[in-house]
Amino acid sequence: MVVDDLKPQVLIIDDEKGLRLGTKRLLESEGFIADVAENGTEGINLARSKPFDLAIIDLKMPDLDGIEVLKEIRKIDPNIVCFIATAYASYETAIESTKLGAYSYIPKPFTPEELLLQLKKGYEKRLLILEAEKLKKEREERLLEIAYEKTRLKTILNSITEGALVVNKTGELVLYNSSALKYLDLHEIFIGDVILEILPPEITEMIKKFIDSNEYIPNSYSTQIELKPNKELIVEATCSPVPHADGSLAGVVTVIRNITEAKKVEDIKSQFVSMVAHELKTPVAAVIGFIKIILDDTFGVKPEQQKDFLNRSYVRLNGLLAMVNDLLDISRMELRKTQREIKELDIAQVLKSTLDFLELELKKKGITANLSIGCSDCHLMADQNEINRLFTNLISNAIKYNKDNGSIDLEIKRSGNYLRIRVSDTGIGLKAEEKAKLFQEFFRVKNDKTRGISGTGLGLSIVKRIVDSYAGKIEVESEFNVGTTFLIFLPIKENGQSSSTQK
Amino acid sequence: MALIAIIDDDPDILDASSLVLKSKGYEIITATNPNDGYDIVKLHNPDLIILDVMMDEPDDGFFLAQKFRKENIHTPIIMYTSVSKAVGMDFGANEMVPVDDFVEKPITPDELIKKVEKLIIHQVKE
Repeated sequence: MVVDDLKPQVLIIDDEKGLRLGTKRLLESEGFIADVAENGTEGINLARSKPFDLAIIDLKMPDLDGIEVLKEIRKIDPNIVCFIATAYASYETAIESTKLGAYSYIPKPFTPEELLLQLKKGYEKRLLILEAEKLKKEREERLLEIAYEKTRLKTILNSITEGALVVNKTGELVLYNSSALKYLDLHEIFIGDVILEILPPEITEMIKKFIDSNEYIPNSYSTQIELKPNKELIVEATCSPVPHADGSLAGVVTVIRNITEAKKVEDIKSQFVSMVAHELKTPVAAVIGFIKIILDDTFGVKPEQQKDFLNRSYVRLNGLLAMVNDLLDISRMELRKTQREIKELDIAQVLKSTLDFLELELKKKGITANLSIGCSDCHLMADQNEINRLFTNLISNAIKYNKDNGSIDLEIKRSGNYLRIRVSDTGIGLKAEEKAKLFQEFFRVKNDKTRGISGTGLGLSIVKRIVDSYAGKIEVESEFNVGTTFLIFLPIKENGQSSSTQK
Repeated sequence: MALIAIIDDDPDILDASSLVLKSKGYEIITATNPNDGYDIVKLHNPDLIILDVMMDEPDDGFFLAQKFRKENIHTPIIMYTSVSKAVGMDFGANEMVPVDDFVEKPITPDELIKKVEKLIIHQVKE
């Protein structure tokens, strides 16, 4: 019986009809599938048309020599196990045929047993060849896979913004990505370089802790390093050990994260908190001072002076309350938690009602306000409260920082895709350096003329935030001692949709 | 009796401090900005200066204190601050800034009087 479940396919090429058919019958009875060809050319054509495991080729044939047929068949499939059958068995032909790739030769005449033994051995050889072929192919695929895996790892490593750098136990570079080169400002390093000396000392120190201990402990070390002065580049470097499969220390991976922006935000935040603390504490200190000296009998504060101090405390506390409210508004805007109701607003109407609302303040300083409406349709999609707040802050500034009996000019008109609202006053004006700081939180112009004016220093900062939140713009023109003009541009969406950036 | 100059841009703090110190018999002169502050010190040569940091002013309290020292005016200075810890100005007297003592607002009248007396007595003994 044959060695495999699959029937071995045999090609018999022989010009002797009896032998050809006898062999075919014998092999089929033994479980082979046999095809026959009566000459070399036919045999070669058959081999081209279907796969064979084995071939028995007669050496002497009228058209083609058996050796030629062998060469052709091996060209078609070098793994076909070929036998040369010959009546003129000589060692020379045998050696020649095996040199040319025949597996063996069968001397004629042969007994069925002899033939079957030879074919069985040949078929085993054939199966081994096929198995080897398969393994070779698999190995090639695996090598390809590994190569691909390496490329993939490299691509992944290079696509992350964090820097990554791996060294082995002797401090030689094993792996790195382009971000690591960028952060560490390394122009020319190669795999295998000993790089501990050229890394920032903070990183080297962390790596050495692992290398010196020479065992795998799953701890990480982290530190912040200012790689470029003046906070231009601050990174957080984290070093972790890399284990071998057996759990021993293989090397150390360093991950470098750029935290410059986060640090900047942190700085701004803490500066803001300090500023807020300062601004809140000042009125509290003033009020505590007054109350303490009123309560303390040793100072003998007279009743009318007590009343003055209480009045002044009241003013300071009101200022404090206004500031807390402004801060809450700013915080809500920052968090984008403001409850908005976006609807169509007539901005000309908003300006009119704002002037009505501030009528008392206007009268107090004898200021005349003129409103010129230069658009037939001054509508905009926006939140009523925010727009009220925007113009109340601007116009009340135009009153507060105006001269007595001065004037305020308001003008609204279309300007391209924007509604342009102009607020001009005849007030104290701004110096260039004051103009630059105008929208900063708590910035207030300080001079003899502003000393009596109360304010939180947050009004224009809120104005700017509101305008920004509608994707608008704000421009300031000012001449010291002459007056200031604010130009507010709020975008109009023609399709009637909200122009708000609120998500 | 000793003469004290108080320089502070907050008129409320200024008045309260003046009242407290006047009750102890000190003579008080005041200014609400660094420029006027410089002028009254030059003019009246006080025995003590109480100076607010006035961080919002272009030439703030620190600047004024330095200016006095540069011009060899060695009158003791108590500096008022309101945010020493928040802004990280957590330094002691004489450190970085040429002043004799720091006071973080708000200060109770008793504390203020104590600090003032200490510096003025110290000065008289010299």
